[in-house]
Amino acid sequence: MVLEMPLSARGQLERWAEEGYPRERCGLLLGQAGDGVVRVAEVTHAHNLDAGRARDRYALDPDDYLRADARARAHRLEIVGVWHTHPDHPARPSASDRAQAWGGWSYLILSVSAQGVQAMRSWRLEGKDFIEESFRS
Amino acid sequence: MSTIKVRIPMPLRTYTGGAGEVEVEARDVREALAALGAAHDGVLARVLSAEGELRQFVNVFVGSRNIRSLEGLSTPLAEGDVVAIVPAVAGGTMKARERRLIELKARIPEVSPQEAIALQGRGAALVDVREADEIAQGSAPGALRLGRGFLELRVEEMVPDPARPIVVMCGTGTRSLFAAEDLARLGYASVCSVAGGFARWKSEGLPVEVPFALDRSARERYSRHLLMPEVGEAGQTRLVRSKVLLVGAGGLGSPAAYYLAAAGVGTLGLVDHDVVDRSNLQRQILHTDARVGTSKVASARQALEALNPAVRVAGHEAHLTSANVEEILGGYDVVVDGSDNFPTRYLVNDACVKLGIPNVHGAVFRFEGQVAVFWPGRALHPGPCYRCLYPEPPPPEYAPSCAEAGVLGVLPGVIGLLQATETVKLLLGIGEPLVGRMLYFDALRASFSELTLERDPHCRYCGTGREFPGYIDYEQFCARAAA
Repeated sequence: MVLEMPLSARGQLERWAEEGYPRERCGLLLGQAGDGVVRVAEVTHAHNLDAGRARDRYALDPDDYLRADARARAHRLEIVGVWHTHPDHPARPSASDRAQAWGGWSYLILSVSAQGVQAMRSWRLEGKDFIEESFRS
Repeated sequence: MSTIKVRIPMPLRTYTGGAGEVEVEARDVREALAALGAAHDGVLARVLSAEGELRQFVNVFVGSRNIRSLEGLSTPLAEGDVVAIVPAVAGGTMKARERRLIELKARIPEVSPQEAIALQGRGAALVDVREADEIAQGSAPGALRLGRGFLELRVEEMVPDPARPIVVMCGTGTRSLFAAEDLARLGYASVCSVAGGFARWKSEGLPVEVPFALDRSARERYSRHLLMPEVGEAGQTRLVRSKVLLVGAGGLGSPAAYYLAAAGVGTLGLVDHDVVDRSNLQRQILHTDARVGTSKVASARQALEALNPAVRVAGHEAHLTSANVEEILGGYDVVVDGSDNFPTRYLVNDACVKLGIPNVHGAVFRFEGQVAVFWPGRALHPGPCYRCLYPEPPPPEYAPSCAEAGVLGVLPGVIGLLQATETVKLLLGIGEPLVGRMLYFDALRASFSELTLERDPHCRYCGTGREFPGYIDYEQFCARAAA
């Protein structure tokens, strides 16, 4: 799969990631998937329920999920993936990401440091492993 | 029945043929999910556990409300309701721990529990590095239970040969990787880790033994013992399982029993038929002013149990005689003789010789005291018995009792504690006991001197090849000496 995202959405994610640093931020990717391409139209920001460990964990508030889902339907979109940040860590899925991941979604990870977003990479669960997918914006 | 729409998130649409919404007939959420599962194979297992409970990483909403805050799966549904399955979205950074584990797995060889047993059979040391409370639930037979905290400090005593292969096991195979790396760094040439640890060991049905272990409060109480490798967990366990009989709960028996109870000797037997007299309190520290007139055994029990409730105090409120001596002494590991009269001292000696029990002897007189361990039954380097030294009691004018000659109150404290020290050494099997030696203490000169005690090969009681001649009338034997 290829993940495509407009520059505006990408800029929005970078701002959220940097504002949130050093805490993890997370949210959902809304768009359409088909023909080997996931086209992101919009990104949402969600509350991290794991506030106690926000430096290294995220748990997306299901109410935010529901709101994003309603918004997606209103625009004839789907929730096609999840984004989250890795403060001071590479943009690779961790063991805890893998343990809690769902197939069928794109997992976009932003590596962020005090100097700003360092990398943005997208992953997809295939069986038990994450496979990197192309990311274009 | 109402017609309900179930919203399917993208990750579950592989089960619904890509459909984002499925219509079902149901009265509540449980029925709606069951109908969904009936229509689309496999989807239900992602939402409900085998027990039919909602899985942790899934939420179900009716409209905008989470069923966890409604009636759960029994939440009723009305015509036109929308049930949304919301996957939990969570994750996190790769922690330093995870990166280290990847490194370690690349470096440390891992073996299965079966392979670990085979290696152990070929001479490898199986080291269990789990915490004591985990080991208390069970451990692999023959494993060295060194724990993780003191592993590097203790392993060399247990595994002196750096070429001996070591198999490290923990609970699930993670801590053992860290431990294995440290052992390799110490210089052990061949170290591996049991993948899956003890959890896998058990689940594969491999043999398990439940070792005796100290509980948390015992661990705290004896922590200064546990710190010393000469005692350690194994030694403290030995003390807890030991039985020591104190003959006399008086001047010598008081400090000895008090410290032995503190040290955690599991069973302390006390033989005394006397009651507490106010004149005892100058030195017999187990007793109190309030307990004057009560039995010494009862008074001592109260003091010892107050100090260490884990100690079992076996009281023998009896006069020790030829008739009851074996019944009372039998089963004890060590006898501490703090008696104040010759008939009892000879009787205790003879019974210890017959039963093969080491007899930790102490005696005090005014400003002087003596300690020795009489143990002719010792397997290696047996020592003399009391009779080798004194085949017969001295005339009374040479051996007046404390009641007659007086004693410095603190002196029995010194001698009783030397007896307790010897006792603990004997129980632990450490150091050089006072076998074949007598330690003599002169309080006024503040000097210790040591006398060598030889075995008398012709001793009537412990002489080589002699049959035990039987008990005698000790009162008469001592009275005769007096005549």
